[in-house]
Order: sequence, then structure tokens, then C-alpha cells
Amino acid sequence: MLGLGIESTAHTFSCAIIKERSGRGRILSDVRKIYRPPDGEGIHPREASRHHVENSAAVLSQCLQEAEVSIRDVDMISYAAGPGLGPCLRVGAVVARSLASYYGMPIYPVNHAIGHIELGRMLTGAADPLVLLVSGGHTMLLAFLERQWRVFGETLDITLGQLLDQFGRSLGFASPCGRDVELLASGSSNYVALPYSVKGNDVSFSGLLSAAKPVAKKNRADACYSLQETAFAMITETVERALSFTRKKELMIVGGVAANRRLSAMLGAACKRHKARFCAVPAGYAGDCGSQICWTGMLESRVKKGAKLGDTMVMQSWRLDTVRIDY
Amino acid sequence: MKLVQRGAEADIYRTRWLGSEAILKVRKPKKYRNSSLDSQIRRQRTIKESQMLSHAKSLGIPAPLVYFVDVAKSSITMQRIPGRPVHDLSGSRIIRLSRTMGRLAGIMHKNGIMHGDLTTSNFVLSGDSVFVIDFGLSQNSPRQEDHAVDLRLIKEILNSAHAAVMKQAWRNFVSGYRSAVGSTACSQILHLVSEIEGRGRYATVI
Repeated sequence: MLGLGIESTAHTFSCAIIKERSGRGRILSDVRKIYRPPDGEGIHPREASRHHVENSAAVLSQCLQEAEVSIRDVDMISYAAGPGLGPCLRVGAVVARSLASYYGMPIYPVNHAIGHIELGRMLTGAADPLVLLVSGGHTMLLAFLERQWRVFGETLDITLGQLLDQFGRSLGFASPCGRDVELLASGSSNYVALPYSVKGNDVSFSGLLSAAKPVAKKNRADACYSLQETAFAMITETVERALSFTRKKELMIVGGVAANRRLSAMLGAACKRHKARFCAVPAGYAGDCGSQICWTGMLESRVKKGAKLGDTMVMQSWRLDTVRIDY
Repeated sequence: MKLVQRGAEADIYRTRWLGSEAILKVRKPKKYRNSSLDSQIRRQRTIKESQMLSHAKSLGIPAPLVYFVDVAKSSITMQRIPGRPVHDLSGSRIIRLSRTMGRLAGIMHKNGIMHGDLTTSNFVLSGDSVFVIDFGLSQNSPRQEDHAVDLRLIKEILNSAHAAVMKQAWRNFVSGYRSAVGSTACSQILHLVSEIEGRGRYATVI
């Protein structure tokens, strides 16, 4: 079975081909083109979608080329139907619908967040993990129970990715700027006290963001360091709470912020204390990519027929805990 | 001393205090945290927890009695409550006990205590009584918003960890809660709960 997956929820347009044999997936190709806003600015949905339109054909043909397959060999197609930016989502959906109707392939709308989780499970081999999903669109703690991913904790305002991006932008970086913030933070070890807000299993970052900005006027590195230390300590604490509450023996971290080394180190230490296995998605697949969408669609195809073209809409705010999972 | 549980933020040991069975709750330094942030959190929570435990007890909430507090070591010695956390009980008992849990939450809120970590693991069934434990995140707060945060957490927990009994358990919890705070306050707070839920990402925005 050969699947094609298309991702276009935010700044990334990506196509990937995965081959499935006896239940195991192998990524044959995963090609990405990332929209970069000007320094100090965030994603402009219109500009990002224009970027996707302009690059979609090239990304698709390169993806087929690298996988050394023809589009006629592809058995099914999946696209990210949400959550994400409307104009960007529509680009992926249009590409997927066109291919599906022209080549008569079954088409699967996929929840982007579940894509992160499923690819993470495929790559790390985690069986029944507590999942920390940290990206620009999500900050959630999840565990699978009774056919659905259930939310054990989440952010009540902005996400961890947004915290790092918005802070980075205020320093003049272009988003996504988690790496720039991380780099600057590594040059300091001077902690400035910032608001620490954990409410049960939930976190809130907006106060932290406002409080960190004035610190940056005095010393940018100290501000980055203190921001990361505070935010990551909050996340790690909720992870510890959820680990001891759910008694899961694995923690899997997925999403763009999973690439941050400091966060991984803190989570790794927390897992050690709870004797849990720490599964981090390989950095190359932590961010948004077509493989996530492709693999999730292939899992769904085991129990579901493809969607009717009329049902292949996009849903900008499609929460993952509303998706029933039957595979 | 025997380690009984490695909780989220503290280690729990069994010990004795002047002849009574006791537990020792130690918030050990977490090396992964920046050390000044770490000591600040541990110190604050130890002090707060012991204060709030005593406060809750004075209101008649079944809670462990505080025997001794060592701020330098971030440790609290307190009465041991034998029994099982509600989390581990059968679905039907969780449904039945939800009313009591709701009533206890209501009494705390009516008296300005926000528990801060209202989960089924922090209610312990001991004999016939339900005890409230772990006041590490609790605060003095008369604000309805804070009380709603408490309710939202227990609702989230029922919905995630006890999905099969969620509906009935939540209904009983609310009815117990209402019996303590009165129906006006109860509906105001429930309204705030749905407001907070709406703040979650992608929560039905329509």
C-alpha cells in the first residue's frame, strides 16, 4: 500500500509518500517548503497560502521523484483538514481533491494534531504513552482512553510555540523562532523571577509573555533564559502530575517545540524520576510534515472507506478530542 | 522510613509521630529546574500547604492533621489517612461518592479555599468518610473564577480518566456542590466553568 499525504495547516507545505507493508510504515519521501515571514513578523495567512499555491506543484513532483514512484502507483491520498489557518488548509485540500478525483483515489481528511501523535508512535514505537503535544497551535497533555485521545491538561491561553514565537518576534526574529530563542538562552544562566502559572493540570502563558518583555530590554539573553526556564518548568510539572495520575510508563513528546533541547532534557529528567520511558520524536519529524498526515490517513484506511468529495472540507478549529478512533 | 509513593512534586514516606501513624511529604529539589525557581516553588508550597490543611480542618473538612513543618527541608509531617483514592475505586462507587466530593468542594469554596488540584486521586475514601488531601496548589481565594478553575479540573479528570461514568458522576458532583454553595452561586460558577472551557484551543468556536 502506497499513500500520499499533504500538509498545509500553517507555514509548511509538505508532501510525503509512505509505503505500508504488514502494518509497518516506511517513509519513502517527505518534501517540505516553509513560508518565512519577514523578520519580526508572524505568519500572514494570505501570504502563507500564496506561498503554498506557488510551491505545491514543485513539492509534489519532487516528493514523487524522491520516492521513485509515479502518481499512478499511489493507492490513497490524505490531507490535513484542520485545525489550522483557513486559507492555508484550503490549498492542501484543493490539491488533494484534484488528485483524488482525477486519478480516482480514495481521499482521507486527517486531523493535524492526531497526525503529530500517530507519526510519533510509528517512529518511536511507543505503545500506550502519555503524549505532550507542543507546537505553535497546541499545548496539550493527552492519553488514549475508550477510542479517543483525552485531554489531561492544556494551555488556557497561548501555546508554548506562540509564547516562544511572540517573544522571539518582539526581539526581531522571524517566526518560527524557537531555535533563535533557545540559542540566545544558552548564553545565560542568570534567572530573573517571572510569573509561574500552573492551574491543576492546565497552564497559562500570557502573563509570562508580558512579564518577560521588559526583562529583554535590560538583557536579551537573560530574558530568553528565564522565559524558557519558567515555561518549561511549568510544562514539566504538569507532565509529572499527569504521569503520576495516569501511571503511564511512557512519555512521548511531539510537535515543533519538541526540537528544543532544554525542554527534552527537563522532561527526560522528570521521566527518570517516574521510571517512565521518554520517547522524543526525531527532530526532523517533530515539526509539521506530510508524513504525519499520510500515516494517519493510512491507519484510518484500515477501518474506513475514503470520504466523499463533498465531505472533504477544511475545519479551522477541529479539536482532536472530538475525533473517534477505530483503528 | 519507607517510601510509599513518588508523587508529582513530592516523595511520600510512612513514618511515626509521637506514637501515631504519620506520613512525611518531602518536596525534594528538582535538578532539572533552575535552582532559585526550584527553591522558591518548594518553599512557598510547603508553607501554603500546611496553612491550608489546618484551615480546611478548622472548617470541618476531613483532611490530614499537620504534625510538623520543616521549611528548610520543604517537608511536612502529617496524619496518615488509611484508605484508597477515589481514582482507584469502581465506576459505580465513583458515581456514588461524587456527591460527597462535590459537597466538600463546595464547603471549601464557600469558605474561600481554592484547592488547586481537585482530582479523584486527591479524595481518599477512609472507612465511611471521604478525605481531601494534597493542598500543595491551594490558595485563599474568594474569587468565583478560581473556584471555577477547580471545578473545571475535576470535570476534565472525570472526562478523561473516568470517561465511562463521566455523565452521572458529574451530575452527582454538581448536585453535592450546589447543596453546599446554594443554587445561585452554583449556576454562576458553572457558567464560568464553560467560559474557561471555551478558552481551550479550538474549543467549538462557532
